[in-house]
Amino acid sequence: MEQAVTAFFSVFADPYLLGLICITTIAGVIIGALPGLGATTGAALLLPFTLTMDPVYAITILTTIYCSATFAGAITAILINTPGTPAAAATTFDGFPLAQRGEAGRALGVAVVASTIGGIFSVFALAIAAPLMAQVAYEFRPPEYFALTLFGLSMLASISEGGAIKNLIGGLFGVWLATIGADQVTAVERFMFGNYELYEGLNFIPVMIGLFAMSELLYQSTRVNQIVEQIAMKAVKLPSWADYKRIAGTVARSCGIGTFIGILPAEGATVASMIGYSEAKRWSKNKEEFGKGAIEGVAGAEAANNSATGGAMVPTLVLGIPGSATTAVIIVGLMVHGLRPGPYLFTQQVDKVYAIFGAMLAANIMFLVLGLYGAKIFARVTLVPRQILWPIVFALAIVGAYSLNQAMLDVWLVLIFGVVGFMCRRFGFSVAPIAIVLILGEMVETNLQNSLKIFDGQWWLILTQPLAAVFLILAALGLARPFLSALSDRRRRVTTSTLSE
Amino acid sequence: MTNNTTGDKSSGSTSGDVTQDAPFPKPRPMDFAAPVVIFVFAAVVAYLTTTFEDASPLIVGHAMQPRNFPLFLMAVICVLNVVLIIQTVLRPPSRRDLEPWQTWLSMVVLGLFFILAAYADLFLGIIVSMFVLSILWGERRLWVSTLVSVATPAIIFFVFDQVLKVRFPRGILTNLWYGA
Repeated sequence: MEQAVTAFFSVFADPYLLGLICITTIAGVIIGALPGLGATTGAALLLPFTLTMDPVYAITILTTIYCSATFAGAITAILINTPGTPAAAATTFDGFPLAQRGEAGRALGVAVVASTIGGIFSVFALAIAAPLMAQVAYEFRPPEYFALTLFGLSMLASISEGGAIKNLIGGLFGVWLATIGADQVTAVERFMFGNYELYEGLNFIPVMIGLFAMSELLYQSTRVNQIVEQIAMKAVKLPSWADYKRIAGTVARSCGIGTFIGILPAEGATVASMIGYSEAKRWSKNKEEFGKGAIEGVAGAEAANNSATGGAMVPTLVLGIPGSATTAVIIVGLMVHGLRPGPYLFTQQVDKVYAIFGAMLAANIMFLVLGLYGAKIFARVTLVPRQILWPIVFALAIVGAYSLNQAMLDVWLVLIFGVVGFMCRRFGFSVAPIAIVLILGEMVETNLQNSLKIFDGQWWLILTQPLAAVFLILAALGLARPFLSALSDRRRRVTTSTLSE
Repeated sequence: MTNNTTGDKSSGSTSGDVTQDAPFPKPRPMDFAAPVVIFVFAAVVAYLTTTFEDASPLIVGHAMQPRNFPLFLMAVICVLNVVLIIQTVLRPPSRRDLEPWQTWLSMVVLGLFFILAAYADLFLGIIVSMFVLSILWGERRLWVSTLVSVATPAIIFFVFDQVLKVRFPRGILTNLWYGA
């Protein structure tokens, strides 16, 4: 415990690390403010730069990008009605109307403060919840892990992008991608086509760079004719006491919601912000203001999406199950640097884990300062023309993918998955499930195989394990939820129309 | 302020032929493109699994042969695909206009990059692709496109080569630095 506390606060005594967090926060805010370049793409593009670093510094870079880019999506959401990251989509609902009324500074001030409170809350929740969850996870055997991964897969049905069926198909495609290479148990070659570079499977990072960065490049090419005006902003100002009183309850509620949603496998900041926003509206005394410029709307969405960052790190670190697409990249970063996610991380590498938590706290404090004093400058990066920005992203994506293993195959993977990702988006499939499940895929198959061995091929005996049964029931509920809510929505609409007639 | 789009023909018709006036919108053939591709993909994967070697029963034990798991995945995907088709019939997706020509040409640029990187030089491929993309996407100042497409790869090359000690594949341009 003492070691953990020392490691947590040691971050604040390390000037090099603080400098790194400052630079990375600026980079993260710029990445988040640029429409199309989100936390996931940013983390995937920056991962190659961390290869020669100390593991704590490397993971600090990735987590700082995660926290700061998630916040920065609000800048463009408020100023140009275009969320810099999907997690900021709900911020546009009230942030932009506030900006139109000439209150852009106030909206950004509320967003910065709510994001910081959400982020700090979630770091403390992470520091407390992760070791507790790790205690439970020590008891997990293959059946429990298999059931847990199925639960993670089922949660794809309810992530907001794409439909439930499309997300599940995307997720299963991700599981299939994880079967490429030699089978873990028998070493039988699968889908390798004689290419021995694929023996250990697809490299995750080139696939993610392709799915996020390269497909986004192609997607941005569909918008080259768009002209976006930007609202002028005098200055970012801190919320007034009246504002604080008005948003306090909303922020507190959204912190809890965001952290809880973040902890659920595969759910991330986007879902959290939507729920945070709708709950803010449900509890507000000024419901009629929502959509026209209610600061509770901005605060609810922003506190929720930033508190989901810490929450999403819980399953990522404790179970090796990504809490979101960005944490899928962070898992790869952990593995590249020799930190295998799982409960043993909390006994064998406790100093490193708590240093990472401390760095996340520092990053949240850093973007409070940068957000309040630099938002006006960061808002200007949205003016970088697409025809300059995206060719640079192209070069970074290609060289970044190559540098990890110094193999041209990884470059080709970026191109292939760029086109695959673009086509998926073209037909309404989100690429996030593919990326999340790519990490889970190997766990699903290996734990299923091991469970079958334990139970002599009688798979139904998995249900006799209490924890596994709980996860499987949750998975069934997770799969049923979108369909049940669609059904109840339809019934509500029918009832409403009947009443109005 | 509003997001002002120019040249966006879809602005008034994003809901396309699934108009709100039409009580029973019918799906168009293109709406079934994705399910068809998914079925073809599943069939190809299923066929490929038949080419896998059988693992020794001693190793496999009570677990599955390596081909079975991908086959199982494809079966589930096909079931979900059937549900997707039913959803498409009942509630056709809103119409999307064809992507602008820049998108298709950007894909061609990726193909051009592949040829250059594979047969000439990785960085030559990057420079040419960046330059063409920049022009394609509307940059009218040739010097800006040239500067960005030459300076960026040069900086990236030296950062990765000198700081991160990454060795790039030899080619026309990289040989200038590494020596022939």
